Amino acid sequence: MKFKAFLTENGVTLLERRFIPAFEKMGKICHVYLTRDHIFFLHNLLTNDGVQSIAQFRKDALFSEYRISSQNEDRIAFSLDLSLLLRALRSAAAISSAVDRLQIKLVKKLPPSSTNPMPFLSFETKGYASAVIQDIPISKPLSRAQLLELQTALDDAQDLPRTLVGVSELDRLSNFVERMKQLGDVMGVEIGKNGELGLKVSSSLVTLGAEFKRLMIVGEDSEESNNGDGGMSVLVSMKHFVKCLQCLLAKPDCAFYGVGSHGGSLTVVFQFFVPGSRQTDKSISFHCRLPVLDPGS
Amino acid sequence: MSSPSMDATIPDLVCQLDTVQGFVDALTSVRWKRHQDAVVELSEHGVVLIVEDTGCLQAKVYLQKELFVNYEYTAEARPRFGVSLGLLVDSLNTFSVPGHSSLIELRYPGPDMQLLLKSIDSLDACIYAEIRTRIPDTISSDFNFEPAGTTPLSFTVKSAALKEAIDDLEWPGSSIKITVQPTPPSVTFRGEGHGDLQIDFMYYANTDLLAAFSCDREVSHRYKYKFLRATTSSIPSSVVKDNRGSKVTVGRGGILKVQHLVSVARPAHSHIDSAGYQPPSRIAYIEFFVKPEEVDDD
Repeated sequence: MKFKAFLTENGVTLLERRFIPAFEKMGKICHVYLTRDHIFFLHNLLTNDGVQSIAQFRKDALFSEYRISSQNEDRIAFSLDLSLLLRALRSAAAISSAVDRLQIKLVKKLPPSSTNPMPFLSFETKGYASAVIQDIPISKPLSRAQLLELQTALDDAQDLPRTLVGVSELDRLSNFVERMKQLGDVMGVEIGKNGELGLKVSSSLVTLGAEFKRLMIVGEDSEESNNGDGGMSVLVSMKHFVKCLQCLLAKPDCAFYGVGSHGGSLTVVFQFFVPGSRQTDKSISFHCRLPVLDPGS
Repeated sequence: MSSPSMDATIPDLVCQLDTVQGFVDALTSVRWKRHQDAVVELSEHGVVLIVEDTGCLQAKVYLQKELFVNYEYTAEARPRFGVSLGLLVDSLNTFSVPGHSSLIELRYPGPDMQLLLKSIDSLDACIYAEIRTRIPDTISSDFNFEPAGTTPLSFTVKSAALKEAIDDLEWPGSSIKITVQPTPPSVTFRGEGHGDLQIDFMYYANTDLLAAFSCDREVSHRYKYKFLRATTSSIPSSVVKDNRGSKVTVGRGGILKVQHLVSVARPAHSHIDSAGYQPPSRIAYIEFFVKPEEVDDD
């Protein structure tokens, strides 16, 4: 099992300034999943509660030289502490003067006062006059069976809703939700087939809501996906909804909301433009899935 | 999408406001604790919100109709309803977007006697709130504020200085004696508790501090610190920024009236000239009435 790659300057910025801070807010520990062509950061995929988040990068979005090999179709997955990763990235970014010289590799080392070698993700930064090596402890790489489980969960999570509506005024949305969250624990989310997004929170004394209209619609608005009045409506935990908005730290250009097949989850897909354009950056994808609450409970 | 359904009957009041933050500021200035029930009175002149504490403290926020962009009042008798002040402020706050002025429609009553708020400035996004109201169960006690004599006993002080003085008096706490005397013209706050602390506002010593002073004889009354503190504890920062003054009047029986002016004008439009002048129509009046601890007839 071998992994060695060089992070590009752009890759460091993407991770250090945007994605890892966003991911860290969603949870302390995440899975890192490496394949021949892609790098995934995954939250909560193997547990069935909480917000699932899936960030996927094409290898060239982050790395310049990328070498991976394993007996499991060159796939490696492990979990790590995001705060450690962020710290290592930050100091590496601060030291590094030479572009493309931040090497990451998977190593096994003997930690001090231990006889068992432990796996680490090793960051090697070559500065002008010095080199710094930082080792982040990671979990044992996932076994073949665990990896299969992760891959299956990932395949399931990639199943996107038929209809998604896009909000580009994300600051406004997050501002509003920030105030709304005081009022209740449950958020009602309504997706209208004509591009409406409705948010609503109710308590015994007050109902507070927001409606966004004429949003971009992605996907089909086939009749099958609509109920009687042409919309989909679900309840999610306010805590989850607010958490999901932490993804805005990754600076997406647009967020698409949709209700997953059979109303089982609320899916939020973040869209990133190629810098300086209105074209979707296809090398990055990022989405979250929020479990839907049972209206009876 | 379930937008609040409007009843066919004509509501008592439909009005629009474009200065949410100003209204939030004005209402916040009478929030001295977490849970407060307020009574709202609607009339052809505007909206008055009243809050009380144990019959010893009363606060009123006057939102004259001139503060609203549009004010359509159609009721015959002046409708009154009770509402949680905290909820009202929090709901209004939801509408305030930094750096973005929003137009809000306020409507009463809704189909279920709610107070309805709705943003109307954008066709593509709408925020709404439906706030449950209740029948006001207590008849607000009458504070019957009357002048204490022929010459009004009053002084006008910089709001920031008044707040600072009252904050400082927290240390001795319990009860605070306020003395207003003509010679030398001065106001004295004295707290005796864990220790003594006396704060003097001398009229001649600092002309900036006391802007006006009217007193023909010495009076002095004691007030509970917590009530006194309520009068300045939530003064919005805009009041200090605008360098405004507060007027304090001692009425018959020692009832203390504290008046603040809170600007509700939109920051982009508020032009303050060197004299700090602003059109009075964009100012909300806040009044506090505090009953004295005991009557100290002189």
